[in-house]
Amino acid sequence: MARIIHIFIVVSLVLLVAILSMALSMGGFGFAMPPSDVRTLARIFLNTTFNLDDKYRYISAMSPEAVTAIVWDYRGLDTLFETSVMFIAIVGALAISRGAGEKLLKTSVSKQGMSLITKTITRITIVMILAVAASIALHGHLTPGGGFQGGATIAVVPMLLIVVFSLYLFSKMMTVYKAVTLRSIGLIGIALSTFIVLIIALLYGSSAYVFQNQPKIYSQYGLPSYIEPIVLGGTLLLFNTFEAFAVAFGFVALFILFTFPEDVMKNIIIGDE
Amino acid sequence: MELESFLFNIVVLSMIMNIALALYGIFTRPSLVKKIISLTIFSDTINTLVIIIGFRHAVPNPIPPVAIEIPPTPQYLKQFVMQAVDPLPQALVLTAIVIGLAVMLFLMFTTLQIYRIYGTTDVRKISRLRG
Repeated sequence: MARIIHIFIVVSLVLLVAILSMALSMGGFGFAMPPSDVRTLARIFLNTTFNLDDKYRYISAMSPEAVTAIVWDYRGLDTLFETSVMFIAIVGALAISRGAGEKLLKTSVSKQGMSLITKTITRITIVMILAVAASIALHGHLTPGGGFQGGATIAVVPMLLIVVFSLYLFSKMMTVYKAVTLRSIGLIGIALSTFIVLIIALLYGSSAYVFQNQPKIYSQYGLPSYIEPIVLGGTLLLFNTFEAFAVAFGFVALFILFTFPEDVMKNIIIGDE
Repeated sequence: MELESFLFNIVVLSMIMNIALALYGIFTRPSLVKKIISLTIFSDTINTLVIIIGFRHAVPNPIPPVAIEIPPTPQYLKQFVMQAVDPLPQALVLTAIVIGLAVMLFLMFTTLQIYRIYGTTDVRKISRLRG
């Protein structure tokens, strides 16, 4: 029986490849060559991403980088829920781990980690990694990059610290619960950034939209996007900063859970039953 | 032109092959770890395919890929729109990568816990377990 199913899977996958390649060669996907033109929607995005013209001023996101403008301005609500999906994944991992975060501190062992050479080089590279990550995250509205990419780059640092200096030393400065708390602070920052223009408008006795970045026709409030000669990108800079913070600490929590010592984990799993 | 079209088709075809191989891994490998590896290959291939859909064959290629003249004059903006690639697939792929990463980390942690409790990652053995 298992043999028949195996043969069936192989035949159907070969058929899938054959049919899709036939569709490709006959132009069924709509392209046999990359097109020399983009779609109308893409043209609208590219045209309004940084446009000081009077006609486009009130629908422009005022950021030279179109991808960040789409992620945090045109489709901001989408990205907000995407961030919460990652938060829920971390909460799920915490729930399965049965409170493994606290119990490591009691079993502290000295003389852990790799050799002196590795530790010295890691101390130097960590600063470089943090500098690159800050550049990626804080210039997200100017160059390719942004909060997610910067946060994922920062997350390399805790991984290096855990591998090189051992989890016992790392857990002295950071535990799972501390990381999740800091991640929640980052998420609160994102939530406040969605309302910041509304709060400013309410202080002036007017009203604005939620997730508003630049002045719109019916509400003339917005964060400064462009102070000669620096491009600030309005709320995009705030969003990128908080997002990098949140993603980095989310990864820290998961890395600590992943690298938990096996014997300690076994005691936690078996012990309470 | 013929050569470029041929090479482009080979790239897309290799991605279709990659999807089929990843699906084969997901369907037939009994180990949960190998299923997760196949799932990463699958999602990465789909993401690359989506980015290829947004690609355009602009001559000359713009370097760097962002608007550099600040504030942009209307002429510069027109030239930028003539050359830049579609940003929407890239934004959607960014979303998909982050969500895929979160789901992947959760799956990995679940598999790790299954291995710690039951001592196996073989789905045939896990499905026979009781209690």
